[in-house]
Amino acid sequence: MRKVVSVSLGSSSRDHEVVAEFLGQEFIVSRVGTDGDFERAQQLIRELDGRVDAIGLGGIDVYLYAAGERYALRDGLRLMECARFTPVVDGSGLKNTLERQAVYFLRDRGLLEPGTRVLMVSAVDRFGMAEALAGVGCRLICGDLMFAAGVPYPIEGLEELAKMAKKLLPEMAKMPFHMLYPTGKKQEEKAANAAKFAAYFEQAEVIAGDFHFIKRYSPDRLEQKTILTNTVTQKDVQTLREQGVKWLVTTTPELGGRSFGTNVLEAVLVALLGKRWEEITAEDYLDLLEKLRLEPRLERLN
Amino acid sequence: MATHEELGECLADFRDRCNADPQLRRLLLDWDRDILVQATDADSSYVLTVRDGTVYLDHRGGEVGRPDVTVSAEIALLVELFSGRITPTEPYLNGTLKVLGTEEDVMRLDFISLMIWGE
Repeated sequence: MRKVVSVSLGSSSRDHEVVAEFLGQEFIVSRVGTDGDFERAQQLIRELDGRVDAIGLGGIDVYLYAAGERYALRDGLRLMECARFTPVVDGSGLKNTLERQAVYFLRDRGLLEPGTRVLMVSAVDRFGMAEALAGVGCRLICGDLMFAAGVPYPIEGLEELAKMAKKLLPEMAKMPFHMLYPTGKKQEEKAANAAKFAAYFEQAEVIAGDFHFIKRYSPDRLEQKTILTNTVTQKDVQTLREQGVKWLVTTTPELGGRSFGTNVLEAVLVALLGKRWEEITAEDYLDLLEKLRLEPRLERLN
Repeated sequence: MATHEELGECLADFRDRCNADPQLRRLLLDWDRDILVQATDADSSYVLTVRDGTVYLDHRGGEVGRPDVTVSAEIALLVELFSGRITPTEPYLNGTLKVLGTEEDVMRLDFISLMIWGE
């Protein structure tokens, strides 16, 4: 049986393990959270190196994208470099393909149309999704500055995002990751400044992007909203239902009662492809996704 | 060695650049702060005050009661930083620049300098 492990800087309370079959091959897919402990994550990757088929990095990105430019996060690279034999992926390769398709999936079902107001809580970690949303005519507000840096400035559209990214990301990518993104216990808490951003959630019809940002900053009520995200647990689904969310869409399918991160699925695909990560193309992922017949999870909550 | 006057000139330029940029002023609207800029190797300190998106510079650095943020480093480094010749990230990470304040305030200061001088 093949084995894929996601090492996450997130909370260990979200740990999970399932056995799943992909193209006739059985996989043990597990997620191990280190509660924000960076050194423990490094150690774990070193221990898994050469002993599993692929490693996913959860709760952290290695690569961010905006308008054709790629920015590498220093802490993400440090984790990636802990493995010498086993491929380590952060999900960014798959996000660029799978998450675009999720947008078209929603459009085809009438859940997105030109003019739909979308709050994308963070776009540089899901540029494929952001680009697809803009491409189908959505009115896009990107919350990258609000939720990663606490700056109450909504970025309107991809052109402005690219300009900001060019100015800010080369330096911000050097910052300790915990300053840019909630890790460990912070993932379980509401942000102290959440009220400052509530209006952006209220004005949006669709809230898209990283679930930890959504969870940390969303107001109590999300009546009739569509949430387009990833990595939700059953408890998260229940909370969204209580908040009044109408549709929940996760870009990866449900496995064993939850949606795993794109890093997990990318790790599975890399193991199936048997190629070096650097050699894998978007077409490789698309071909495999078609063979696997993976579709986003779409669930009506209210 | 850089002087108190040179640091003052850089900070005045920093203030003017912030105030001349409508986008940056908008980004500072929610961030009223007293920022003490203090040299560790010279008798030199200033206060940058941010109120309603406008930045003010005060020369009475030593008299500020309780700054929200304290930025301290050798005077030459402060001059380099506030003139945009270097970015704050590396010196902050290697400890030659100390910023006392919340993480959010540290980020915001970094952000302001990148908005002014970023590529």
